[in-house]
Amino acid sequence: PSLLTGSLPQALVDDTEDVSLDFGSEEELALRKARIRHPLATFFHLFFRVSAIITYLFCDWFSNSFVACFVTILLLLSFDFWSVKNVTGRLLVGLRWWNQIDEDGKSHWVFEAKRVPTVAASTEAEARIFWLGLIICPVIWTVFFFSTLFSLKLKWLALVIAGISLQTANLYGYIHCKLGGQKSISRLTSRLFVTDIPKRQTRRISEDPIEEHGKTSTR
Amino acid sequence: FAGLADVSISEEIPVEGQITVPVGSHSPDEDGSTLDEPVRETIMRDLKAVGKKFVHVLYPRKSSTLLRDWDLWGPLVLCVSLALMLQGGSADSKDDGGPQFAEVFVIIWFGAVVITLNSKLLGGTISFFQSLCVLGYCVLPLTVGMLVCRLVLLAGSGTISFIIRLLVVLAMFAWSTLASTAFLADSQPPNRKALVVYPIFLFYFVISWMILTFTPQ
Repeated sequence: PSLLTGSLPQALVDDTEDVSLDFGSEEELALRKARIRHPLATFFHLFFRVSAIITYLFCDWFSNSFVACFVTILLLLSFDFWSVKNVTGRLLVGLRWWNQIDEDGKSHWVFEAKRVPTVAASTEAEARIFWLGLIICPVIWTVFFFSTLFSLKLKWLALVIAGISLQTANLYGYIHCKLGGQKSISRLTSRLFVTDIPKRQTRRISEDPIEEHGKTSTR
Repeated sequence: FAGLADVSISEEIPVEGQITVPVGSHSPDEDGSTLDEPVRETIMRDLKAVGKKFVHVLYPRKSSTLLRDWDLWGPLVLCVSLALMLQGGSADSKDDGGPQFAEVFVIIWFGAVVITLNSKLLGGTISFFQSLCVLGYCVLPLTVGMLVCRLVLLAGSGTISFIIRLLVVLAMFAWSTLASTAFLADSQPPNRKALVVYPIFLFYFVISWMILTFTPQ
């Protein structure tokens, strides 16, 4: 009997070791190992921005019509703004920002950062692509602004200004989210620290009289 | 300190709990889920919001939906379609009867920004983007009027067609102005209402003028 009990726990230990390592399905394991977990989001994050820039640079090759180029670039910039603000931001880096108006009519800008990482959380590669795309494109549009201004192709100026404002808005919003997240993390730790002390203090207050009582009782 | 003994927490009662800090004080209820919701839901939500606002402009009532959830998609679509129709489809030629595409664009957006700044300087409580949203959406009747005008011009460009166009544009102009003042007037102090309504009147008047004087080549 002792041999049986001796061997069974061993087998059980082996079984539990095998079971505990298997967290989830094969897909989740593959997802965890992948360098890019949201390929579609990454693609679209860059697609609209880069297409807008390419269309602006090579619009003369595509069509003779100023109107068609203008509308196409404007639509690409708008889709890019919407998709970066609403989709790729939360999928690739877990950040989101928006504007809310409460009942008083006052407008609040809300910046949100994801805390709990899930299986499908973003990887470093995705985050790097996100931030690079976010920062480089407004810089390129600013270069276009100066080139348009100095070459006096003023009919494009409205479009370039629209491009700069849309892309800079996203950049500003996400930087605010990122910095806001760090600020609130420090606020969280300080709040934890502060609420910890009163508990200890009350403990101490409660402990001392009891000790005194104990002392007096023994006496 | 003896009196404090009554206040103390005895050892038998476990002092424990959770410290949870809310992420943002104004976060909506579905906060966690808007970060994780599928993309299709996001698109549908935004499209429905835009559609609701169009309906609100067509039947202006005193409601706060237009003001609460502002978005600039509607104004963008309206501005682009109005500018396209005013352009007349001819590419970049100097001879066409309508103003250049970019001019219409700049007039609409620059005009809306100026009106917004004006209302804010007069002490309005509405926010910048809310005002842009309302002014942009209220261009809808004028865009519809432009469409009607172009259809009438297809039939002919004589005196009768001019009178029809005049009546249509006047009606749409009145509709736009009334709709936007219905939404914006509440946010102004009472003795300044006329000062706010006048620029809006002028803004839609300029757009109506562009529509009425449009002649295709």
